[in-house]
Amino acid sequence: MRRVEGDLDIDVEGERLTLLPERAALWHREEALLIADPHWGKAATFRAGGIPVPSGTTLEAIDRLESLVSRTHARRVIFLGDLLHAKPGRSKEMFGALEQWRRGHSGLDVILVRGNHDRRAGDPPPELCFDCVDAPYLMLPFVLAHHPSRHPDGYVLSGHVHPGIRLYGPARQRERLPCFVFANEFAILPAFGDFTGLGDVEPSAGDRIFVVAEDRVIDIST
Amino acid sequence: MTRLRPAEEWFESHSWQAFGFQREVWEAYLAGESGLIHAATGTGKTLAAWWGPLLEYLGEGHTPSKRRTRSSALPLRVLWITPLRALAADTAGALLQPVDDLELPWTVETRTGDTSSASRSRQSRKLPTCLVTTPESLSLLLSRDRASEQFADLRVVVVDEWHELMGTKRGVQTQLALARLRGICPRLRTWGLSATIGNIEEAKTTLLGSRPVRSRTVRGQEPKSVIVDSLIPPVIERFPWAGHLGTQMVPQVVAAIEEGETSIVFTNTRSQTEVWYQAILAERPEWAGTIALHHGSLDRKRREWVEEGLRTARLRCVVATSSLDLGVDFSPVDRVLQIGSPKGIARLLQRAGRSGHQPGAESRVTCVPTHTLELIEVAAARDGMEAGAIESRYPVTRPLDVLAQHVVTIAAGEGFAPDALLHEVRQTQAFADLPDDEWEWVLRFVGSGGTALEGYPEYSKVVAGSDGVWRVEDRTIARRHRMSIGTIVSDAHIGIQYLRGSKLGTVEESFIARLTPGDRFVFAGTPLEFVRVRDMVAWVRRAPNVSGTIPRWQGSRLPLSGELAAALRARLGEAADGIFRGPELEALRPILEVQRKWSSIPGPGDFLIEKVKTREGFHLFFFPFEGRLVHEGLAALFAYRVSRIMPITFSMSSNDYGFELLSPDEAPVEEALSRGLLESSGLVDDIPASLNATEMARRQFREIARVAGLVFPGFPHSGKSARQLQASSGLFFDVFQRYDSGNLLLSQAHREVLERQLERTRLGRTLQRISAANVMITTPPRTPPLAFPLLVDRTRDRVSSEKLADRIRRMQRTLEKAAG
Repeated sequence: MRRVEGDLDIDVEGERLTLLPERAALWHREEALLIADPHWGKAATFRAGGIPVPSGTTLEAIDRLESLVSRTHARRVIFLGDLLHAKPGRSKEMFGALEQWRRGHSGLDVILVRGNHDRRAGDPPPELCFDCVDAPYLMLPFVLAHHPSRHPDGYVLSGHVHPGIRLYGPARQRERLPCFVFANEFAILPAFGDFTGLGDVEPSAGDRIFVVAEDRVIDIST
Repeated sequence: MTRLRPAEEWFESHSWQAFGFQREVWEAYLAGESGLIHAATGTGKTLAAWWGPLLEYLGEGHTPSKRRTRSSALPLRVLWITPLRALAADTAGALLQPVDDLELPWTVETRTGDTSSASRSRQSRKLPTCLVTTPESLSLLLSRDRASEQFADLRVVVVDEWHELMGTKRGVQTQLALARLRGICPRLRTWGLSATIGNIEEAKTTLLGSRPVRSRTVRGQEPKSVIVDSLIPPVIERFPWAGHLGTQMVPQVVAAIEEGETSIVFTNTRSQTEVWYQAILAERPEWAGTIALHHGSLDRKRREWVEEGLRTARLRCVVATSSLDLGVDFSPVDRVLQIGSPKGIARLLQRAGRSGHQPGAESRVTCVPTHTLELIEVAAARDGMEAGAIESRYPVTRPLDVLAQHVVTIAAGEGFAPDALLHEVRQTQAFADLPDDEWEWVLRFVGSGGTALEGYPEYSKVVAGSDGVWRVEDRTIARRHRMSIGTIVSDAHIGIQYLRGSKLGTVEESFIARLTPGDRFVFAGTPLEFVRVRDMVAWVRRAPNVSGTIPRWQGSRLPLSGELAAALRARLGEAADGIFRGPELEALRPILEVQRKWSSIPGPGDFLIEKVKTREGFHLFFFPFEGRLVHEGLAALFAYRVSRIMPITFSMSSNDYGFELLSPDEAPVEEALSRGLLESSGLVDDIPASLNATEMARRQFREIARVAGLVFPGFPHSGKSARQLQASSGLFFDVFQRYDSGNLLLSQAHREVLERQLERTRLGRTLQRISAANVMITTPPRTPPLAFPLLVDRTRDRVSSEKLADRIRRMQRTLEKAAG
């Protein structure tokens, strides 16, 4: 893997994870890239509904995925749900870009753990060769899911929330940033997509929080 | 003269006499003129405007008809536009009086957001002879496909309380609707009713548009004399410096209420009405049932009950916000109190005018300070009033979000040919100078079917037909557009209702989101216990006693007006010279003496800067005395200019007197001053540069996104498919910035921040004034009285020249709520 300065390594359940400022995580033992909530096709869904949102967000995210795969040398990409935003957003353009990406990485395993949006938007077309599974999907010691929850068999890695946190500092400074949340029994990854927004989280005692501040991941749970 | 006879007779039958200005309006109307009538409320403006069309009808020589049914009534002749839907019913009642007395075959009905669906569908078959409606409901009528037919016989549009509309986007919405109506009926007359404002001629031209019409400005009855006095706190505490009186003044307020028969106690915010209602009731428990509160978030039925109680003198006292500023007379009211600063001279006059409608009575308003320093604003307001310094209202120019909404409205109705619509739109004052490229951009933005904006594939809302007419063809899109017509933007609101009973009103969703079942809060003057949220309603039950929080509503906090600010600086100048004129300044003297001792009292030619160090960091206090909006702009500008000297992060707070820059390290203010901190020259470049850092434009975009139809309010029973189309305005802003930076709505956001939020013109003038002033830098031993309110203000912005990551590393995480 080609590291950048903003990467941050952590241990979870004895496994080494690298939290990446591109808003994804790398699970080293499985060489798996973990990505939550891309919401691809969201802008196109809006346009189809008569709301002008410029195109580019989805293609940018696919580019970002492409460069992530090459810099981490991942063997596997696991989407933790909400890959596609909605049915009207299933555009040729987007699947074309995904297909092109897929052709360049035919050896790559791609798994989609379905989320609430995927159930209505549908799975990606079969020629993209995504393994689409329902949550919970066990890859012990982790349980892969979309909704944050507890699971008796392992530590849950999830998304859905698009976690963001408000920070306050001396001289009454404020920031609101996307973050990774690692709680006792589950973790929530930040949303990968650009046009997704943030949901505020209220951490409990013992939660580890890592914010994505532009090009670096910073541990703020001291 | 004989043509006016029926009106004169009707007045005589009520033992009234028509005023000269009313006759002038009737004559002018009958001669085909348009115009603007300005006078204080309750002086007969309504009848001046109403009898014109009635006399016109009576002069047409119709044979009297015995049958007065809805279907035989005359088709629509008069549109009466009112800014508040709460006023619609009262207005219609007043208009009906002569119609009933003379048994005219006219119908007068209202159509607002409150109108039942049965009346709506009756109206969509046939409109009444006179329709009383809001700008939003008028736009809705224009979004239907039979508009031209329905408005074919329209003679006049009367716009009530035009001064309230003209400075807002609703005013622009009204201008556009008027232009459309003039397109349908070329001989349409327009009459505006307005309170007296500083720029009444501009108010008229804004209403009438740029097409030449014969028109006049008519001044109504001269206002009665107005008395402004204040309740002086019995003890002016010199410590603590906060000076917040809270509800300490309640005994005096209660005594003032007891002096009168019926009182209105005005506050500046909805939460303050709740606070004061509780406080008055706690002081006089036996008043339960004869005291009420009134604000815009209360359920309509409750508000109507309160208004009725005021008219019939059943209530002794009503605690209210600006929700009672406008509207019909409450004749029994003989005492008006104003809690906190009125912020403007016109506003204080308006509120004073709510009292004194009994014969021979004077209008009187008694100001109650919530903060001792506010006493100086009362004295200044009185000075301003005596000098006739009434504020102006400035019309909004070229808001493309409103234009985009209007274009879709027309496209959802009868459709339009672009050239004809452009011609019509340019006849409004707001878009008289609309450049071709902006018009074309708006057309592409609403989707032109084929030539959509680059970067927006497969998007079209409005489609050009082969007949050259542009329409909204998708019925779902048209329906969603009708539901989001309007320019009033508020947070998502959630209803409050008893478990098995009546509705109480609405609060912002964010307030309810912080409650857990069992929590207590106070609303509509009632202690409540929160049970649960279901179906966008917060279900509550009565709580046994008053405890718990009071909801806060996001209201626009009005800044001190320029006129009042000037009068205030003059008063401070007198104090600097040791002159303490009047009871207010006499009372303030001890505090101002401390200000002088620890720092200085700035005179009109001075600019005061105070440097104070506390545990929080290094504070710089600046005192231009120009109102909060200008101070917010100056704070960002100064922070930006200082931060160019060295990497530093400021947090800022502003109020009507000045602003504060707070930093963890000492800021080089003297160096900044010598390097042009107060220069007004670089303003054009520096303001946008400092704005990028403060994200004001991003916040301003909230309104634009809503008006332009990007974000629409959730509507009831919307399914999952509607939810897929929801995103926050901030997200839109970010995506536009990154993927379509030429989007004109972004430039509009920046322009609105400059012109409306920061009052750029006023800001430039302020900089010129303070750069020519004598700069006084003091280093007080502790925070002096003028600065204290800034120190305790918790709403802040930030300007930084440090890297985000560096800042985050230094930040310590503090949770908004302690976990668990």
